[in-house]
Amino acid sequence: MARLESYTPTPGARAGRIVLTVLPFVMGLVCVLLSFVPIGRIFGTSVMPAFGLMAIYYWAIVRPEMFPVYAVFLVGLLSDLLSGGPIGLWAFVYVLTYIVVLTQRFLAMNAPFSVFWLGFLLAAIFAGLVGWVAASLFYGAFLPIRPIVWHLLATVALFPLFALIFGRIERRILPSG
Amino acid sequence: MLTLAAALLLLGRAETYVFDEARQVVTDMTAPLLEIASRPVSAARRVVERTDEYAYVFDENERLRAENARLLAWKDAALRLESKLARYEALLNVQIDPAIKYVSGRVVSDNGGPFVDTVIVNVGREAGAKSGDGVVDTDGLVGRIVATGKKASRILLLTDLNSRIPVVIEPAHYKAVLAGDNTDWPKLEYLASTSSVSPGDRVVTSGDGGLIPPGIPVGVVIQTSDGFLRVQTFSDRDRLDFVRILKYEFPSQIDRQDPPAVLLGPPVESKPVERVKPAATIPGAPKPATPPLTEGASAPAKPAKPAPVAKKPEKKPAPPPQVLPPEATPAAPSASTMQPVPDAEEDVPPPEEDVVPGSQDTPGTE
Repeated sequence: MARLESYTPTPGARAGRIVLTVLPFVMGLVCVLLSFVPIGRIFGTSVMPAFGLMAIYYWAIVRPEMFPVYAVFLVGLLSDLLSGGPIGLWAFVYVLTYIVVLTQRFLAMNAPFSVFWLGFLLAAIFAGLVGWVAASLFYGAFLPIRPIVWHLLATVALFPLFALIFGRIERRILPSG
Repeated sequence: MLTLAAALLLLGRAETYVFDEARQVVTDMTAPLLEIASRPVSAARRVVERTDEYAYVFDENERLRAENARLLAWKDAALRLESKLARYEALLNVQIDPAIKYVSGRVVSDNGGPFVDTVIVNVGREAGAKSGDGVVDTDGLVGRIVATGKKASRILLLTDLNSRIPVVIEPAHYKAVLAGDNTDWPKLEYLASTSSVSPGDRVVTSGDGGLIPPGIPVGVVIQTSDGFLRVQTFSDRDRLDFVRILKYEFPSQIDRQDPPAVLLGPPVESKPVERVKPAATIPGAPKPATPPLTEGASAPAKPAKPAPVAKKPEKKPAPPPQVLPPEATPAAPSASTMQPVPDAEEDVPPPEEDVVPGSQDTPGTE
């Protein structure tokens, strides 16, 4: 009777595994960088969506184990460092939104895409509200609402496109999921 | 993590050195990536703009023709004023501001989200940018640099909540501070209650504080629907691309310019002294009611003295009299007594033939 040998992954397989593990986090960082590329100026607007929030919401619902809370914190911190605004603002907003989304995850997990999208709309409104209150407290003044509303509208409107991209990547690299 | 983020937010309020350095390091690291990513964006924007231009090419052509005709008239007026101003500056020994050096760069990032209005430009300390430098584009003032890394800097736009720029509202020269509040139109603060500013007035930098040179166009005063006066900036923050960073030095650090030893003008072909009294010497000729003047010049407030000379400001033994350029001839009596703003010449512009290209180079300071 043949003995089964214990499975030891090759170095290549290990490296691949590590890459797959950190890929959602890297995608979150890329999304933050993308939100600072002046794409909106093609159309003469400076309104930019919060691509980082899209990545956080998607992975919080679909695979939260691959996008832990400290990854969310780092994504938010990168956004703070690049934005020139208060340090910790987006880290705070993203972490709080992530925690709230995790508690409601079961509602959108296996639901149709429209519910998934609606959940993102609510998450974006929550994030925008928290961000506006925190920033207003930080600056000691009521900040204008209009920029954050446009920011959120652009974010929610573009979410399906990015959810599609994230979904494709997820199916390509994580077929077992 | 939530507590850590909240703690960072509170600590960041103190704006510690560590946070600023971290911010600069991250900005320096990401600026090349953003620059690469922004190139196709710029190309796409040019395509879109080109398409727009083709769609409105005839309208644009008409508009440019009309504007060209208007600007030609302005050019004529500007040349005259430049000539006049150069002469006055020479007479008064004005300490003229030196030419401002600048370094050009490209905006490589978008504004930093809904709560701040800052952009990153690919010019850093290595290229000579420093914190506080003013930034302009082809339309006017864009903002100022608030942080510099080795290869990239952050520009605080005029509309940002933290932006404060000392400005002057023309034409009455009211001073104010242009304060951003994250809206599209910054507001005017510290405007004197007696000032009468109205929509359409032009706003330029005042130069107070010595960071930004005076006279840079900023925008025009507008009245918003709620009745408040705000400023529509000339530069469009949604279309920022190439910008200039002004390496401005406060004028106090400039060496003093000594007054010219002798005021000289360009060579005068005719003899102005002889032209003052030709008709009076002709026997039998009717005596004119007013003293004859040089061609095209208007009458000064007082009858012209026969010797149109300009002396040095210092009371030294009279130097050889130097003849001013032809356009200064009627004003020479005033100039000789160091009152170089003659009323008559202010009221009536000099004749057209006075404006020659050769006279633009600071007449009287050779």
